[in-house]
Amino acid sequence: MALIDIEDLEVVFGSGGRRVHALRGVSLSVEEGESFGIVGESGSGKSTVLRAACGLAPVTGGRILIDGKQVTSPRDAAFYRRVQMVFQDPYASLHPRHTIDRVLSEPLAIHGFDRREARVEQALDEVGLGKGFRFRYPHQLSGGQRQRVAIARALILEPKVILLDEPTSALDASIQAEVLNLLDRLRDERGLTYVLVSHDLAVVSHMCERLMVMQNGQVVEQLTREALQARATTKDYTRNLLTASEGFTRDPALQT
Amino acid sequence: MSPLLSVENLRIAFPSRQGPVEVVRGVSFELGRERLGIVGESGSGKSQTGRAILGLTPVSGKATADLLEFDGIDLRDATPAKWRSLRGARMSMVMQDPKFSLNPVMTIGKQLMEAVKLHGGKSEARDKSLAMLEAVQIRDPERVMAAYPHELSGGMGQRAMIAMMLVTEPDLLIADEPTSALDVTVQIEVLRILDRLVSERGMGLIFISHDLELVSTFCDRVLVMYAGRVVEELDAAKMSEAQHPYTRGLIGCLPKINGDVRPLPVLARDAAWLE
Repeated sequence: MALIDIEDLEVVFGSGGRRVHALRGVSLSVEEGESFGIVGESGSGKSTVLRAACGLAPVTGGRILIDGKQVTSPRDAAFYRRVQMVFQDPYASLHPRHTIDRVLSEPLAIHGFDRREARVEQALDEVGLGKGFRFRYPHQLSGGQRQRVAIARALILEPKVILLDEPTSALDASIQAEVLNLLDRLRDERGLTYVLVSHDLAVVSHMCERLMVMQNGQVVEQLTREALQARATTKDYTRNLLTASEGFTRDPALQT
Repeated sequence: MSPLLSVENLRIAFPSRQGPVEVVRGVSFELGRERLGIVGESGSGKSQTGRAILGLTPVSGKATADLLEFDGIDLRDATPAKWRSLRGARMSMVMQDPKFSLNPVMTIGKQLMEAVKLHGGKSEARDKSLAMLEAVQIRDPERVMAAYPHELSGGMGQRAMIAMMLVTEPDLLIADEPTSALDVTVQIEVLRILDRLVSERGMGLIFISHDLELVSTFCDRVLVMYAGRVVEELDAAKMSEAQHPYTRGLIGCLPKINGDVRPLPVLARDAAWLE
């Protein structure tokens, strides 16, 4: 049985003339220990899948099952012990007036964990920051360091599933490599399951064994990493994405 | 042919509590009618370099250069009136994000025509603007002219901004991350438009970006910046022969669709690169 099972998920925002049908019947399943990627352009609904899964977007139709059990709405504390999310913008997702210590202690207090101090220090060590960062504020950190804090915050509850919404797209290339390596290592060490959303095919191909291409709130197709690398796609849309991600190609007709 | 733009020993400093901090430290280059790429990571000074050429260094900063010459005009001590006659008419800049760079309470048409009217051509302003929107491949220019920026998608807004910058037919265009906020497929379309305009109108283009791969496929020549200095200048086609360890590191740390290097090589910064 798959760890995450999403069946015919529908998400509708607004009503009447402002109705936006963001997801139109999206299904996917992710096995335990697997890393699953979702790619698509802006507005394709890729982030909405993650947000709906963790209760940040309204589920209008379909089912979300974790470990074979349908999730409750609102999600209970046990859900967040198992599923955590890392957001795109490390500048916006940390409270500017909370120290790193407070950011990391809060989930521990909510879920009634013991040895909080030791856990905070351990979490900082694991993401490669160290204890020295404990009493700093987010503005004293660089973008890459902030994203490490966001990852530490997600990991501190020892979840099984981490939902990653464009975790590196706000970072420089060299910092992106560091954060991707960190995510890879943590998955190995802890047997985590990832669902990673990105617009960058190369990042998804590097991180995920299987992926899904989305457009206009629908699934275009599902591929394995090997199929993507072999360009074995049946859909024009995926092919266009692949061509576009290889950089600019000059129209031969315009060559002088 | 003399170059369109010459920059020699450009330095930009901002005050701080520890005294002035130089964010651009002696950048020199020449630009003809070609596509020049400037790449670097955030904080490398690439955007400040572009802004200084247009005299848009923030007031707290101070830009100095041994030579800053555009088509024979010395820009270092240009008067505000001189700048007004140059900016928009002969040199202009496309910014990164159309959401923040267009006036939100003016229609696209009004903003476009403002540029034309300022630089002569009152009567044909409307026709010129419509033609320009068509040139950037906006299918329904009449509708876009009447639209406010929030009514357009990111790709449309970016095209409208490019139209606005090009309607006066400048000789030099500085594009600061013009496609970073766009989806990959739209990004290629916008680049194609820029590319055509450069080759048809013989414009000089400075393309500032963090995306090494994109720059190497789009530009003719590339300057790689690190900590306010140009560490390497390359032919775009010869990116794979880069010598400087920083450039090589930047290329190496990108994940590739076909590659499976794990862990990814990370960039080990060397203090010697600062010199």
